[in-house]
Amino acid sequence: MRRVLIFSVLLGAVLGKEDFTGHQVLRISATDEAQVQKVKELEDLEHLQLDFWRGPAQPGFPIDIRVPFPSTQAVKIFLEAHGIGYTTMIEDVQALLDEEQEQMFAFRTGARSTDTFNYATYHTLEEIYGFMDILVAEHPQLVSKLQIGNSYEGRPIYVLKFSTGGNSRPAIWIDTGIHSREWVTQASGVWFAKRITQDYGQDSTLTAILDSMDIFLEIVTNPDGFAFTHNKNRMWRKTRSLTEGSSCVGADPNRNWDAGFGMPGASSNPCTETYRGKFANSEVEVKSIVDFVKNHGNIKAFISIHSYSQLLLYPYGYKAEVAPDQAELDQVAKSAVTALSSLYGTKFQYGSIIKTIYQASGNTIDWSYSQGIKYSFTFELRDTGRYGFLLPASQIVPTAHETWLALRAIMQHTLNHPY
Amino acid sequence: MPPRGQPPPASGPGGPRPAVLLLAPLLLLALQGVAAAPAGAGGTEDSPGLQDAELQRGLLQQAARAALHFFNFRAGSPSALRVLAAVLEGRATVNPKKECQVDLVFTTDHYNREPFCLIPKSLFQDGEERLGKCSARVFFRNQKPRPAVNVTCTRLIEKNKRQQEDYLLYTHMKQLKTPLDVVSIPDSHGHIDPSLRPIWDLAFLGSSYVMWEKTTQFLHYYMAQISSVNQWKTNDDAVDFDYTVLLHEFSTQEIIPCRIHLVWYPGKPLKVKYHCQELQTPEEASGTEEGSAVAPTELNNF
Repeated sequence: MRRVLIFSVLLGAVLGKEDFTGHQVLRISATDEAQVQKVKELEDLEHLQLDFWRGPAQPGFPIDIRVPFPSTQAVKIFLEAHGIGYTTMIEDVQALLDEEQEQMFAFRTGARSTDTFNYATYHTLEEIYGFMDILVAEHPQLVSKLQIGNSYEGRPIYVLKFSTGGNSRPAIWIDTGIHSREWVTQASGVWFAKRITQDYGQDSTLTAILDSMDIFLEIVTNPDGFAFTHNKNRMWRKTRSLTEGSSCVGADPNRNWDAGFGMPGASSNPCTETYRGKFANSEVEVKSIVDFVKNHGNIKAFISIHSYSQLLLYPYGYKAEVAPDQAELDQVAKSAVTALSSLYGTKFQYGSIIKTIYQASGNTIDWSYSQGIKYSFTFELRDTGRYGFLLPASQIVPTAHETWLALRAIMQHTLNHPY
Repeated sequence: MPPRGQPPPASGPGGPRPAVLLLAPLLLLALQGVAAAPAGAGGTEDSPGLQDAELQRGLLQQAARAALHFFNFRAGSPSALRVLAAVLEGRATVNPKKECQVDLVFTTDHYNREPFCLIPKSLFQDGEERLGKCSARVFFRNQKPRPAVNVTCTRLIEKNKRQQEDYLLYTHMKQLKTPLDVVSIPDSHGHIDPSLRPIWDLAFLGSSYVMWEKTTQFLHYYMAQISSVNQWKTNDDAVDFDYTVLLHEFSTQEIIPCRIHLVWYPGKPLKVKYHCQELQTPEEASGTEEGSAVAPTELNNF
């Protein structure tokens, strides 16, 4: 009964956009007819703005009143003066409404636990952020959430840290969703997060990795762009930063890094999809990662995940020169791709960015490689153009699963080849 | 309708290959100054010094795509659309005008077949899939659109089956009520309602014409989404289909809206008109063509 009453108040709140802070709900016990009459007198005092949830009827039946904050003192004094008993059912109506809203929201997303979360569908930013909190709450010893900055439009940028202890252990960095329209990547990131918590203590490879190293996972690397793909334009790729002197919005966060910035392989036109930005690290979404990685100082593998094309790429993208570690990177890529295809037969090509896909300057892993992070890789996940960015949700879990096998191979190699 | 003077597509397996005319005894030339880099980057075209092998592979892929789009368009059958499986062999020659001739052989698969198993491979016995095989000559005119294509392919679907399925699709399209409530196909989550699947296939057929015309050495396209659909009845019972499609150009990553109008009747040549919204850039890549195009001259009755 209480829930129904609260729900109707909530509805009123939503429709009327009222604020019920400080409002209280009193339950009055009128013991005789005289007391019932007295409470009826209260009803007539319009200036009190009382809201009778359960009106005065007969003695012995509770009378419930929502009392606006300014009237609470007066009403209580009145009741006490006439010896009418009451209890405070709800201390603060607004607080209860807020809690209710949260619960309803959580119920709607099915996200009461990460076991009931639906991994086989695409989620909103709020749902993913909610998922993160639940995961941390379920595995407080293993998972924590770090905020590494705020997006251009002021959204928090979160990174999940998976750690079994130690102090600034060598670490693996994984990011998904840097290009917001590549939805299978954020969805896969969510799946990876859950998978890590399931595999620790169960899978010997992952357990060995986490016993010596930390994993950092940034699931929504471009939150403004991601929100935009939900609300306005499903095909949005870039950030949502405003460029002075142009009516066009956003820079390509995968052309904004300080590696070959300004060279061929990116655009200087703000209206294009590969606009590099006014200067390297102009995009706060990029700068936040740069600062984090530099401050950490012990990242050993850096993996940035995109879609689509089914490729596994290593540096360089901005120049044709062969990376010093090319031979090893190629080997690692080969074994990762083999592991990936072992699950469903999905074929990936691999090689350097510039030779396999196109010239791309100011890209993420050229930068991470320049920072001395040898195992720098970029994935392009499913598919090869049939659905492209609009990959059917039914393929999320298979994609995430096969990709995980490749990630595990890279992480294992990193663990076994310290430098 | 094949362009005049060309042999019709082979109807049986291992059909006759066109004679391959070689411009020079030396087949592989170093492609100095012709990078596989995106043309739309706004930068110079200095060669990044890519090896022949990479440039060759890139060019062969481009040629295969152009050839397939052209093949699909010309075949005019939404039930028999093909996708690229693999390039088997090929060679490219570049003339001083930076025009590129590519001769190649590639395999194709059904467009309509789900390429991904949702069952783990360990549980699935992969039967020997029969792929189609095509040989083609593609001539790229140095970043100008409309590559010249001469392509023949082995048959992938049995003729009667194809005709049946086309006719089914045709019937379905004629029964659809327009304007459709649906805005986007697929929706944001990649879902296409089965009842709308024929629209997608027919749209892909029409888009194949557009994508063929727009493919160059450096630019290639995918059909990303249909963003609006209309259809009118016609007196001669053809499907008259007007829609807006979003094409994804890969090297620039741009999304290009194109309004496409096609007229289709099973077994008859496809008629297509289109207008794509070109990116307004201060630094226009050289050679981009803007505006409407009409189907090849033999279809000028449209």
